[in-house]
Amino acid sequence: MTLTGLFRHLFSYRMRALVKKEFNQIRRDRRLQISLVLPPILQLTLFGFALSSNVSDLRLAVVDDNRTPESRELISTLTESKSFRLAGYYASVDQLGDAVSRGDADAGLVVPYDYARDLARQRPTTVQLLLNATNANTATISRAYAQGVLQSYNVNLRQNGIHLQVQPTVAPNLARRGQIQLQPAFLFNPGLVDSWFIVTGVLGLLLILNSTMVASASMVREREAGTIEQLLMSPASTTEIIVAKIAPLFFLLSLMMLAAIAVLRLVFSVPFRGSLLLLICAGCLCILSGISIGTVIATFSRSAQQAQLTSFFLNPPLASLSGALNPIEAMPKWLQPLTVLNPVHHFAAIVRGTMLKGGGFADVWPNFLGLFLFTLVLVSLSVRRFRKQLS
Amino acid sequence: MRRILAQSRKELTQIVRDWRTLALALALPLVMLLLMSAALSLTVYDLPIIVQDFDGSSASNHFIDVFRASITFHVIAWPVDKPAEAALASNAARAVLIIPPHFGRDQASGVNSPVQLIVDASDANTAKLVSGDALQIANAYNQQIAAPAPVQAAFRLWFNPGLSSKKFYGPGVFVLALSMFPPLLAGLAMARESEQKTILQVYVSSISAHEFLLGKIFAFMVVALGEAVVMSAFLFTYFGLTFAGDPTPVFVATILYTFCVASFGTMIGVKIPNQTAAMQVVALGGFLLVFLLSGLMFPVQNIPIGLRWISNFVWGRYFIEIVRDALLQGGGWPAVWYKVIFIGIIGSIFYLLAWNGMRKMQVKS
Repeated sequence: MTLTGLFRHLFSYRMRALVKKEFNQIRRDRRLQISLVLPPILQLTLFGFALSSNVSDLRLAVVDDNRTPESRELISTLTESKSFRLAGYYASVDQLGDAVSRGDADAGLVVPYDYARDLARQRPTTVQLLLNATNANTATISRAYAQGVLQSYNVNLRQNGIHLQVQPTVAPNLARRGQIQLQPAFLFNPGLVDSWFIVTGVLGLLLILNSTMVASASMVREREAGTIEQLLMSPASTTEIIVAKIAPLFFLLSLMMLAAIAVLRLVFSVPFRGSLLLLICAGCLCILSGISIGTVIATFSRSAQQAQLTSFFLNPPLASLSGALNPIEAMPKWLQPLTVLNPVHHFAAIVRGTMLKGGGFADVWPNFLGLFLFTLVLVSLSVRRFRKQLS
Repeated sequence: MRRILAQSRKELTQIVRDWRTLALALALPLVMLLLMSAALSLTVYDLPIIVQDFDGSSASNHFIDVFRASITFHVIAWPVDKPAEAALASNAARAVLIIPPHFGRDQASGVNSPVQLIVDASDANTAKLVSGDALQIANAYNQQIAAPAPVQAAFRLWFNPGLSSKKFYGPGVFVLALSMFPPLLAGLAMARESEQKTILQVYVSSISAHEFLLGKIFAFMVVALGEAVVMSAFLFTYFGLTFAGDPTPVFVATILYTFCVASFGTMIGVKIPNQTAAMQVVALGGFLLVFLLSGLMFPVQNIPIGLRWISNFVWGRYFIEIVRDALLQGGGWPAVWYKVIFIGIIGSIFYLLAWNGMRKMQVKS
């Protein structure tokens, strides 16, 4: 078939009639319409707002065995930082331990009785910091924060020490080696906004899962109602039926994608540093693979309820092995290679690469290729399954 | 009582007959537990990092070696003539460490030398972990080569000293699976009665609304308890958890929680007499609410205040806290008694709502 022939075929009267029928069916199905608009927007907003790894205002319980101006200075340095706030003073370490296990405090600080004396004698002294490490992530971040606070406190102490004593020699500097001052700079997201990572990941998840759901619902309806035989009896060819089924869904889901991208921009102010066209192309591939997954599911199920149950088997691995909500490096080693087979993973990499990092096609082409191949395989699989069902 | 048991038996038989539902009941919770707990983890290992050494002295080499030895980082090669930021854009590396010229000379002469760490912050949480770990490495290095700092902190990590995220997410996903699958089955079973009109037979029979509902709920409590037993077998082996303290609160709470989720599913089934719609609502309530608003992944305090109040009504939140307390913190009854009561209250509300929906339909005898 030549290209013009194909085009004439696509815009033939029969084709238009079939597409119109699909549109009418979608228009009359209130639930399908709602599920096209409401869940994506709602979920995107919920995920973006609710999932934040921010560590701030940890309740710090204090046992101050020293009770000197020096120890109080240390305590206030810690509690004045954004990360900790004072939960209360306790008389003994046991009481503090109880408070942490009851959940009244998230962290504890124990200042030894000889703290000020050691400082005055310029001897290194150690304070104890207890952290509730149930949540490993929070504990790691808060440990780093506490260390940062202590480090700047130490620098101040050193400078004060030199000022106060006015040491007559310059020599000590030569005896001591220079310190390394690590200066982290955060590229692409200097404000460390958590939601940018989450919403860019959830976008792909939504596109795939929603396309799957909508497609399987609309495909299986024909089967449930038994109207698929009537379609077969009509002069339309199987290609025409398939294209007419997919085209309206694809169009509506693309609109949903644009709405979701608008939410990203307007609600979460995610920066658009790269090419929007690349993003939309990748999104369209995502929708296509989602529709294909839905079609395949529909051909295996006899009712809408069965189709939905089947998608329950598919969604957890698709969602959890995608790196949409957490970095892939945090997964067990044996699971990491599986993410290559996940379109959500590729899409998330493309979204983050273009929107946040401002990369072009040159940076994300491996993921684009992966997504493209995946879509190709899925579309041909679904067309084959659908053909088989029709013939 | 006899009627309640008969109703439960009928319900359980129906579950066993359909392979999809049976798989949903038994296999999926396990798959979810294993997959999700791995997939939610945020602790990163072996992050690719690029080192650009403009000094090339033995001091700078020594410093880089410390990074090579860390388990968080994995130093990769990068051509000197290509800008290091390009590696971040193409995902080849997560961070770049830049050591300036004169690094070794500065150090030897006692001058503090700045070292820059450029972190890919498109994932803000990992960026915080990366910079925190790098700071810690630099600190340790400073302690080694220079005089120790006047005030040092000795960190004690309680309850989870290995900082294993598996131990944190395992109990959370355990609760998530329990909040999702039993109510899904219960909702489907209840909606099916209405869809296939078998509910009419119930209305005209002599069974009361309480007996009918309790029978159904009891059956799904059995299913949920079975799931809980199977999943906790994994928690105690694969996840390496043990009871940290008094296990009685979690036993009581588990029974109450299975009642709560079974009533939730049944209530949805009563209110929405359509299987597909009921399934969607249960998935929304069971999965989304518990996943997002219960502190499963991140602390509840991080949720903006406009959404946070909802989490006070999310039944899964209390159960997650109870399970984590039992398996990690060991606070026992003093820490969790009111949470157990909340689960009971929320469960009873679901039950009453379901009963209210049923009662209206039933013919008075």
